[in-house]
Amino acid sequence: MSDVTLDWPQEYNKVPKEAFTRHDIYKAELERIFYGPEWHPIAHAAEVPNKGDFKTTRLAEVPLIVTHSQDGDIRVFFNSCSHRGNQVETALRGNKTEFECPYHRWLFNTEGDLIGCPNAKEFSPGFEKKDYPLEQPRTELFMGVVFVTFSDKTCSLTEFLGELTSTFKDLLLGDGQLKLLGYQKVRYKSNWKSYNDNDGYHAPLLHKAFRMLNWQGGKGRQYNATIRGHLGFESALTVASGTKTLKDNSILEFKGSDPSKGSCIVGLFPTFVATKHLDVCNLRFANPDGPDHIEVHYAYFAHVDDDDEMVQHRVRQSSNLLGPSGLVSMEDASVFHRIHIGNHTPGNAVFQKGVHDTKSIPETMMQNDETGQLKRWEYYREVMGFQRKGA
Amino acid sequence: MIAAKIKDAITGLNANYISALDNKNMQDWLAAFSKTYEASYICTSADNSENDLPVSMMYDDSRNRLEDRATYITDIWAGTFQDYRTRHFTQLLSVADIGSGKFAAKTSFQVFFTPDETGVSEILAVGVYEDIIEFNPKDCSCLFVSRKAVTDTGVLPRYLVYPI
Repeated sequence: MSDVTLDWPQEYNKVPKEAFTRHDIYKAELERIFYGPEWHPIAHAAEVPNKGDFKTTRLAEVPLIVTHSQDGDIRVFFNSCSHRGNQVETALRGNKTEFECPYHRWLFNTEGDLIGCPNAKEFSPGFEKKDYPLEQPRTELFMGVVFVTFSDKTCSLTEFLGELTSTFKDLLLGDGQLKLLGYQKVRYKSNWKSYNDNDGYHAPLLHKAFRMLNWQGGKGRQYNATIRGHLGFESALTVASGTKTLKDNSILEFKGSDPSKGSCIVGLFPTFVATKHLDVCNLRFANPDGPDHIEVHYAYFAHVDDDDEMVQHRVRQSSNLLGPSGLVSMEDASVFHRIHIGNHTPGNAVFQKGVHDTKSIPETMMQNDETGQLKRWEYYREVMGFQRKGA
Repeated sequence: MIAAKIKDAITGLNANYISALDNKNMQDWLAAFSKTYEASYICTSADNSENDLPVSMMYDDSRNRLEDRATYITDIWAGTFQDYRTRHFTQLLSVADIGSGKFAAKTSFQVFFTPDETGVSEILAVGVYEDIIEFNPKDCSCLFVSRKAVTDTGVLPRYLVYPI
């Protein structure tokens, strides 16, 4: 383990800005968090619906292939030949019965078994093909969401998700039987921790659309789950009443069946955010690229049982509402950039809304507090081994 | 064979369109589109487009939605984003007569952006416009019935405020 240090303030509502910008800290985060004992969502099974379908992706700097194998299982492989380590697949997506490394023509089936390697008679004594499959990180699925971890010390996925499970299930349209509608992909000039530090306090203040459309937040709750401080939001949907601002209000309609939990957000440590709002179902697969960038693939889904009209409604809403250029979310993207610029100054970022005591982590919070982030920060501090002053 | 006057009119329409964006004039941007209800603007990646994935970066499928796009930019988002200049470069690639006074055209584009605060220019996106254009023979003018900006750029280097 790398030995990186950072003085952490005594107060639980402060985070040193250095944590967002230092390259040595980023390197240690890769080791302790991204390649450490955490689960990371990298895909949904609906992205590879048919046997032979695959998508390539990465976790931080590690290239991966997600496949729907011919035997019907979803598998994840390191995108690296078991021979000399050459990248096996270059396409972003496709459908194949075999993966061939072009370098020496080693051939793998979609279950990852090595099924062909030229001139094997001249290989080292005792060589057997069964010893050279494509390597797989630990993989588990939750309602089709594909999670990987590179550590054998990681707890079970059930324990990792904890009490967040019910919000996540609602967010995945009840059963996770999804149909892929497409992607919005963007890079933010922001540290990954700023990207995932969005709070319940900012929404009605930053997002002018809520005010202009007279769109009040519905009753709901914000809560932390597990020691990692995963964040869950559940709110009832409300209707935007002052809608003269727009000529076409149809993108703000709710056509689903149950408005009581019509708005859900799931934020998992370290970087994953998913949201269901109105009829948008959006999983945001995010990867850091150094301390100064995060790349986010916003994947949007319908339910497999939707009729054509509902699918079209979801397409319009998904494209225009909550993405990197969405009506009520573009400003978030702007803040990701601006907060990263500001974090190059000395001092601490300070949380205030909902803080009643600076010497502990609040157990409960209101929907529009910014204290939901504090438990995650405490977990981060512990994982990174940063000492609190005076501790 | 497409008449030169039609190609000239299409090239002129493109020039108006990119001038509107490079000048951040959303009313001039709107003026490049047909007044009909069906007028549309879509901005998406080639990856989505080629894989029949309909979700887009911007999806304005009616004249009303186009007008709302202008409202987002000039009224709703005002004062929240880091402003940037764009500079569009386009080249007309092909024109086909699809009947009823309409033409299908393809125009390649490259768009640079320069954030006000850094002054450092970068590539925002490259790709091709796939357009349906209505031609008015009376004054040799034309308008977009639909404009689809398909970006080769699969991962944008920043969030978009303005259309491409």
